[in-house]
Amino acid sequence: MDIRVLIRSQSAFTLAAGMVYPFYLLFLKNIGNSYSKYGLAFAVFTITSAAFSQFIAPRLDRYGYRLLVISAGGMAGCMLIFPWVASYLVILILQLVMGACNAMQKMSERLLLADFTERGARGGPIGSYHFWTSIAAGFAVVLGGYLIDWLTIDALFYLSALLYGTSAWIVWRCRREPNDKSMSISGMSEGRHED
Amino acid sequence: MKKTLALCLLIVLCVFTYIRTDSIEQDPYLITDYSRLKPIKVERVIAGHEEEQLVRLINEARSNNKTVSIAGQRHSQGGHTYYKDGIVVDMTSYNKILEIDPIRKQIRVQAGATWEDVQKAVNPYHLAVKTMQSQNIFTIGGSISINAHGRDIRNESLIKSVLSFRLLNADGEVITVSRTENAELLPLALGGYGLFGIILDVTLQLTEDEVYVMETDPIEVEEYIDYFQTRVLADPAMRMHIARISVAPDSSFLTEMYAVNYRHDPSADLNQYNRLQTRESNVIPVKIAFGLNRTFDWAKSWFWRMQANINENQKGKRISRNNAMRTHSEFMNYSQPGKNDLLQEYFIPIDEFAGFIADMKKVLGEEKLNLLNITVRYVNRDEEAVLSYAHEDMFALVCLFHSPLSDEAQAELGRGISRLIDEVLEHRGTYYLPYAPYPTMEQFHKSYPRYQEFIEAKHKYDPTGVYRNEFFRKYGGMDEWT
Repeated sequence: MDIRVLIRSQSAFTLAAGMVYPFYLLFLKNIGNSYSKYGLAFAVFTITSAAFSQFIAPRLDRYGYRLLVISAGGMAGCMLIFPWVASYLVILILQLVMGACNAMQKMSERLLLADFTERGARGGPIGSYHFWTSIAAGFAVVLGGYLIDWLTIDALFYLSALLYGTSAWIVWRCRREPNDKSMSISGMSEGRHED
Repeated sequence: MKKTLALCLLIVLCVFTYIRTDSIEQDPYLITDYSRLKPIKVERVIAGHEEEQLVRLINEARSNNKTVSIAGQRHSQGGHTYYKDGIVVDMTSYNKILEIDPIRKQIRVQAGATWEDVQKAVNPYHLAVKTMQSQNIFTIGGSISINAHGRDIRNESLIKSVLSFRLLNADGEVITVSRTENAELLPLALGGYGLFGIILDVTLQLTEDEVYVMETDPIEVEEYIDYFQTRVLADPAMRMHIARISVAPDSSFLTEMYAVNYRHDPSADLNQYNRLQTRESNVIPVKIAFGLNRTFDWAKSWFWRMQANINENQKGKRISRNNAMRTHSEFMNYSQPGKNDLLQEYFIPIDEFAGFIADMKKVLGEEKLNLLNITVRYVNRDEEAVLSYAHEDMFALVCLFHSPLSDEAQAELGRGISRLIDEVLEHRGTYYLPYAPYPTMEQFHKSYPRYQEFIEAKHKYDPTGVYRNEFFRKYGGMDEWT
């Protein structure tokens, strides 16, 4: 695995997330009349993300790739469940799972970005990474709107699940364990700590 | 190079989307209804929460010469829920279930609650709504303001099941209206399109929830009157009925029909069937099929056959009344810019049905109208509302047209619909007021001969015109009041 694979997988991830996120708010609007209910749903997401990050932190260096795969797979599962949700409690549970996935994805993404770049020469790869993931988010939002117009918000969730699954598959296909040669070349600990 | 290309592609997509959605009906700062016709600017939209808040609002509006329109789910399609530069009260958040009396089979509910809310509340008591639309997404206040009707063939009109309601009138007073108290207002506010005040809460008569067996029959248009009278209406076990007429541009066009009947099955155990179905199935494939139906003639034929097959498969299915009164609608949602599905509804006396369809066929052959769907329901004679549409026992033909929203396309659709309404009137029929205002003033007067009484009552109960809407601007001469 290298930076290009990371960019590819995370572009698919951002495409999936960007496609759902703005419309997900509309979906949540249908589950209650109060804005405090949204607030609570998102608070559950961030609290879990924060708490789970502390569980991941000591394992991150060892399991970076796996965490990336698990987070994308977990998100795909959540997207498949969303259209079938019939209670607010299940929404909160899914927010909880997505919060954990968010912690895994964000942390391993940063880890691998650091691993795949050299100190003093990070501008180019990080620029490319940001460009492609942002472009993916841009396409996702516009195409997501078309998709809901033509089909339904459920279809958007299913397509998003497919893209998350693709992201997981891209990483899985190119997985290498941390004691691989390629890992050790690309940075090791100093870089990670600085990140 | 790759980056430049990707960026350019995204920018082109954004510009294309901007141009595609740059139409007045897509302007988020204007208000419209489900039709997306005639978007206009209103002063503000206020969510209704408390009775005192609404009373204060009306008093302030009256003192400051402001106008108030009342909105529920905004599924009416003729500007009934807004008025230029006025205040719109959105009642959907005023939606509490206030009281259920299982012994007397009654419910008192705030007007912004939907039929779904009512069904959820009464289902555990084995009770059900007497009369409502086929779908349960509409608010109670909106439904009684348009004097809705549905598939039920035994419980008369919706307003017959309204026992009383509390009305916030134009003077800012809350009054109870029933058939014994302030009785003159009952036939005005029910089917009054929000012009006599805000209906705050309503007491409805309910009925027993029951199990029905679904029966389906293919029939020809010419046999339908006899079929309905002998096989449906004459059978006391039949509770609900709906029929469809083919609009496929082939030999079945306005010739083939199929009927779906719901027959009471007293032997079935209600507890096995009364879990409320909250999820619509197969929305994505049906929505795709219905989308093709809008554009291609071959898809219309295909869709008709598919519907017929689906109905055939439902034969013998048992369903509770509450579940039968919550049919699917999500697949029909349409949000493409510049075009929309627009409803029209015509009421035809039973004995005139076949003759009207023959004349309708003639008009549709000459006019370029994209007709997607015709459903047929039965409505009892009911002249309680001043603006009542059922002067005798009638069939209600709900017609769904697809049309661009441009001025030219709307003018063309309006011409075609006006011709259809001429045929409706020729056959002693009437048309329904909640839909887009294509009918001429003359057609309105012929369909609603008590219109003058309605307008005079409006002058009496709301002399300064606090409650206004675009529908009444057109048909009630509202502009002249300012």
